[in-house]
Amino acid sequence: MEMQDINYNKSEYVETASGNKVSRQTVLCGSQNIVLQGKVIVQSDAIIRGDLANVRTGRYCIISKEAVIRPPYKKFSKGVAFFPLTMGDHVFVGERSIVNAAVVGSYVYIGKNVVIGRRCVLKDCCVIEDDTILAPETVVPPFTKYSGSPGMQIGEVPECQQDLMIDFTRSYYQHFVPTKII
Amino acid sequence: MSYIIGSDVVRYACTCGILKPISKLYFCRHCLEVRCGFCVCHEVDSHFCGKCAENLPSSEARLKKNRCGNCYDCPSCHQQLTTRAATVGPKNPEDPKATPRKVFYLLCLLCRWSSRDVGIPDQSAVSGGWPERENIHANRLQEIQDMYKGIVLLDKQQKLEKDKKKQRRYMSFTDRTGITASMLRKRVGLPDIPHPLLKPKPKEPEPAVAKEDVEELPEELLTKPVNLCEVTTMEQRLVQPEWQPITVEKLFPIHKQLSVKRSQRCRSCEHNVSKPEYNPNSIKFKIQLFACFHIPEVRIVTVEPLRAGKTCELLLKFSNPTQHQTVITFLPVTLEMEETKISEQVTEDKSVVDDYLLEKKQPLSLTGTGSQPSSLLHASLSRQPSITVKPRPIAVPVVADITIPTSTFILPPRDDAAEYDDSGDTHNIQDDSKLVIWRKSNKAVVKLQVTPKEDLKIGDEVVAGFTMQHIYVNTITTVDNKEPQKCEHKVKVFVTLGNLVGSE
Amino acid sequence: MTSRNTIKIHHGSIVCEESKLRGDITIGSNCIIHPSAAIIAEAGPIIIGDCCLIEEQAKIIHRLPFDQSDKENTPVLIIGSHNVFEVDCTVEACKIGDNNIFESKCYVGNKLTITNGCIIGAGCRLTEEQTLKDNTIVYGRSCQMREGLDRPVPQTLQMDTLSKMLPNYHHLRKPNKKNQ
Repeated sequence: MEMQDINYNKSEYVETASGNKVSRQTVLCGSQNIVLQGKVIVQSDAIIRGDLANVRTGRYCIISKEAVIRPPYKKFSKGVAFFPLTMGDHVFVGERSIVNAAVVGSYVYIGKNVVIGRRCVLKDCCVIEDDTILAPETVVPPFTKYSGSPGMQIGEVPECQQDLMIDFTRSYYQHFVPTKII
Repeated sequence: MSYIIGSDVVRYACTCGILKPISKLYFCRHCLEVRCGFCVCHEVDSHFCGKCAENLPSSEARLKKNRCGNCYDCPSCHQQLTTRAATVGPKNPEDPKATPRKVFYLLCLLCRWSSRDVGIPDQSAVSGGWPERENIHANRLQEIQDMYKGIVLLDKQQKLEKDKKKQRRYMSFTDRTGITASMLRKRVGLPDIPHPLLKPKPKEPEPAVAKEDVEELPEELLTKPVNLCEVTTMEQRLVQPEWQPITVEKLFPIHKQLSVKRSQRCRSCEHNVSKPEYNPNSIKFKIQLFACFHIPEVRIVTVEPLRAGKTCELLLKFSNPTQHQTVITFLPVTLEMEETKISEQVTEDKSVVDDYLLEKKQPLSLTGTGSQPSSLLHASLSRQPSITVKPRPIAVPVVADITIPTSTFILPPRDDAAEYDDSGDTHNIQDDSKLVIWRKSNKAVVKLQVTPKEDLKIGDEVVAGFTMQHIYVNTITTVDNKEPQKCEHKVKVFVTLGNLVGSE
Repeated sequence: MTSRNTIKIHHGSIVCEESKLRGDITIGSNCIIHPSAAIIAEAGPIIIGDCCLIEEQAKIIHRLPFDQSDKENTPVLIIGSHNVFEVDCTVEACKIGDNNIFESKCYVGNKLTITNGCIIGAGCRLTEEQTLKDNTIVYGRSCQMREGLDRPVPQTLQMDTLSKMLPNYHHLRKPNKKNQ
């Protein structure tokens, strides 16, 4: 199906020079540590914890409402350190999802209400379906589909997933338009 | 998004008759046909572990029963186990030089099961060194397996002898290894002298002995209250069929299963349709002939609420993924005609195949077994397709008619740089304005009229179909023609339009 | 129900301004409350022990069960020390002990009593009336339970690091109760 236009209130969003559309109602802690590469949409009530560690997203990422992007921590003998969290390009994070992963690859689809456990590694082109709970430190190999609680592999993803995600995120960005006041 | 999760609304008919969305189809450039997952041969390319992303050669994989040597799964919740470190005081507390050393134990982060729960001692090495359990029945199982392997070998030899008795042919002097002693012996009929280094026939295992006396049912099964925390669940037991532990104390970590990278090969022309790279972390493909790169994609934009017998409007979006311009023509969909044409071809092929089966053994030495078919050789003469797939009729109830427009429309080639260029379309294509409503670079929205059949009830699902004919430019250059060939390719498209809302 | 907010914060606690605290709440020493956390003391006061970690979007709600809405005495929700409430958990239990971990998106209903050392796994929904024994581990969608060997390790290392990092980025509520 072709995507419909998603309207937003123009006054609510800030559009930067590189095309990032960030809602004013988000909680962006430590915004100097957050790097949004370009054409990234961050919808309202999302939380990005840049104060814990650097957060870096690629191009055309979509962070839906009330999602939480939180860098994970690792215990060392001398204390605890928070890892920077890098997301690749063309990543979609669904509503109310919690991403605590160490690495999120490119072309990843994360559904709604998902809990990505601490220090998980999501490789490129994987799909995490809605309501999945991934155990901490799970490694999700490419082209796999995870679902359930605890998240187990339920199937495979077609090989053209890269193209599908590029198309999906691009058309989402193009259809994310301010409501026209007639 | 509907390709990633969700229902498949627009489906294409594969040559075998099964409907699939375009994301799951391949396109064979040599036979110019659409192939689905059932029409291709799936071959295992490489084995790798999902967690440590290490490739294993297939022989090692078979030896280890397709399990990774380093990674373990939790026996209680089947998630991946991690290795944790703990410091242990020095062995000799009085010795000033002894340093506290690190010991490692396995821990599951979901259910917090650890290797200490079953009493496995902590290891001093990070990986490896975990004790492997021996199954007490392993020897007996191996004996029985060897016996059956011997029987299979015997069967095969007997079959070969029977086949030999059928054909009386002279020995070929042009065979690669020449006339060998064993060939002579077989010809004459003498039994084969086994090579001295070959294993002798394994001894027969002891037959199983029937026993009359069985253990008595222990009373405490009925009287003692069960502590559910100590008993394993069926799932936990069956995931380790060799041991099937009953109590939680016997739950040992399981080696992680390996995953596989597959390559797909078209069944009729034996060309690879999809071949991934060797590196498990890579998402690139050495050969990727996916349908979404060659065949125009159809998407539903809007459809009017459907009423039985009434003509409703349907807007479809076509996008051209190739680098060449294409012209789209609409044709009515036929569920039967195409099928008979293909089955004729199939019977032809079969007779050809039978003729060549007998002579297969001879020309094999010329072409060599397992040689890659090159399109230069027109190798279809000496190779027969592995399995010919009989097409089945498309089993979808098409309950709505689409009025086929007579005009065609052009789709310009895909231009990746157009995303950054805002100068607008410079194509100046004259369109039938009743057909094409909207255009942008390589996409066009087309208006069609759909009439659901009159005898449908409210709530029935409406499926409509049409044949899309597009001009496909085949970029494979053969010896004959160095230029890319243009051909007309037809593909049947079926759209599920939702449920009927009202009747007339 | 009065709508006055009495929030007493003991020495050493870090409470971000953006957290939502409503009602009569006492927070012990060395606690950390992340922004967007919600502590709602509707039915009575909430007393949180020492060294608790409450992450963002966590909801600790003290709500009366329906059948007791007219009682005279206001029950107090006592939460012990060294508890961890991870992101987006919803806890409405009537009594919580020490050293528990409530993982992301778990839901603990009104009728539960949590003792010490329990780990409620991510996504688990506990609604039936029960008392969880010490060191119980709940995991999986069907809330399977296991008995752990001992209580979970307290998160002191993480809290130390957080107590150094959070003041740099957030506005904090000042502690207003002196150590006694």
